[in-house]
Amino acid sequence: MSAPAILARGLTRRFGTFTAVDALDITVASGTIHAFLGANGSGKSTTIRMLIGLLRPTAGSIVVDGIDVIRHPRRVRDRIGYMGQRVSLYQGLTLRENVEFYAGLYGIAGDELAHRWGALRERFDLGEAEAERPEDLSGGIRQRAGLALATLHRPRLLFLDEPTAGVDLHSRALFWELIQEEAAAGVTVFVTTHFLEEADYCDWVSFIDNGRLIADAPPEELRRRFSPGYRIELALPPSARAAARAALGGAERAVAETADGVCVVSPRLDGALLAAVARLAAAEPGARVRVEQPAMPEIFRRVLAEARA
Amino acid sequence: MSELAVRLRGLEKRFGRRRALAGVDLDLAGREIVAVVGPDGAGKTTLLRALAGLLEVEAVEARVLGHDLTGDVTEIKRRVGYVPQAFGLHRDLTVGESLRFIAQLHRIPPATAAARAEALLVRTGLRPFVDRPAGALSGGMKQKLAVVSALLPEPALLVLDEPTAGVDVLARREIWALLEAARTHALVVLSTSYVDEAAACDRLVYLESGRVLAAGTPTELGGRVPLALYRVWGDDPRAIAEAARALPYAQGARAAGRCAHVTVWTGRAPEAARIAADLAGLGAGGVRLVEPAPLDMESILLAFAQGLAA
Repeated sequence: MSAPAILARGLTRRFGTFTAVDALDITVASGTIHAFLGANGSGKSTTIRMLIGLLRPTAGSIVVDGIDVIRHPRRVRDRIGYMGQRVSLYQGLTLRENVEFYAGLYGIAGDELAHRWGALRERFDLGEAEAERPEDLSGGIRQRAGLALATLHRPRLLFLDEPTAGVDLHSRALFWELIQEEAAAGVTVFVTTHFLEEADYCDWVSFIDNGRLIADAPPEELRRRFSPGYRIELALPPSARAAARAALGGAERAVAETADGVCVVSPRLDGALLAAVARLAAAEPGARVRVEQPAMPEIFRRVLAEARA
Repeated sequence: MSELAVRLRGLEKRFGRRRALAGVDLDLAGREIVAVVGPDGAGKTTLLRALAGLLEVEAVEARVLGHDLTGDVTEIKRRVGYVPQAFGLHRDLTVGESLRFIAQLHRIPPATAAARAEALLVRTGLRPFVDRPAGALSGGMKQKLAVVSALLPEPALLVLDEPTAGVDVLARREIWALLEAARTHALVVLSTSYVDEAAACDRLVYLESGRVLAAGTPTELGGRVPLALYRVWGDDPRAIAEAARALPYAQGARAAGRCAHVTVWTGRAPEAARIAADLAGLGAGGVRLVEPAPLDMESILLAFAQGLAA
């Protein structure tokens, strides 16, 4: 297993007597999408600003891509792309001029810039926006432009602070496709959001409340620990129900007969269970299947209620 | 049959040369929770502020609670509760003082106001913070206080602009419990960027470029979308989604948790059994189970945003 892309231990930041971030341990595996969730004011932005070397922690250690961020805050910046809550494009300059400015900061020019920007412009659908000024672009296009600029220098890590806040649903969906493509290409993505359902687009989830980490696990594990489990309803004729109950039973699973078939509740949705359901449904022409996946907001409600209890 | 709570015909609002509302037609009866949804800049906030009697508007007809929006709106303002997007409370007043202040503005007898306030504070968990200045409350508590303040005069119309944006999940649920209680005696109109909240509303109003593109129950809006949804369960939902996008009749596919949501064009797709077989045979991501599912709210709203709805 390769070294983690981000490794923070005991990360703490106090402002006067107020502890904004309290002894966080964060480990992010290389090439994964790591969601950092929490309500407004919970400490998300303070954490991300420390991770990228913009804010010095009161205590703790941070290693990003092998670099000690506290000792060498500048050295880490070439390796990372950052996009803040308010996309930092210069007003008055066109998008194309913004691109040239940013490219210059990273020493990208000439053919390399033409090639790199050409690819991003097409992938992020920014061709029409290129000659416009940021103040004339919609929020969704500005966000896409911000992400394109953050990836211009091919960073190994992307830090995105609330990239989908204040952006409409369609732009949010496009944005997540782009983020997943980046991860598929090997980029590590650390992203904060207050849209809890977006946790399902990620490989790992940390959840922060009042500066403290109250959950740190893959979404599937949170489902297992903080929900009644997956519920699968299979509508079947009475004659097929006894066999179905026998076929679907297993450790951790609860199988019951319902008014129109059988119902299984299981903390995990393993391949064997899905395959068994598919076999039963295929054997009965009139069979109907409904799978209920516990919703992320409900899971985080339980996480939060337990943490505050 | 009672009179409509809201009846708008050709409602317009200009800010300089820009038409924020460009002819809104809308009928709303009472005792429902209605979400105003749509892309950025569609006019959602402007419509909500107009309904609350806060803007000078032009219209062929614009009646709210039986009063004319283009005339004297004093009576409308008296009967409407409004929660703006930005924090609109007096920071220096305590929770208790804020509510007494609002009761005085609305000339609610002190004993009545105290009883209502007590019930609302207990229900929202704000009771222990009654002596804390509003400015010192957490984000979730501030927002709860804003909703409680709007409810205190028992408005017939409650208008809320993104009441739960950025608020923690527990506070969100408490705010929703208040809205559901308010629905028993009032029309509740809100905007939200949370899909699960839009799905929980009785009715949706989809705005685009200052006009109502569609209004109806979630099921009615779903009926205008020419798409069907299949949920494909397997080992690697992202790989499944990517493979499914290549099907000629697929409109889109995205991974969410353990499944891929695949939307197909109903007009172009083969029969359901064929689709299920195609998806089961994708040969990527380890497909285990294909489930035809009702269109979910996210698919519906995305279809409207992409201009696919009839």
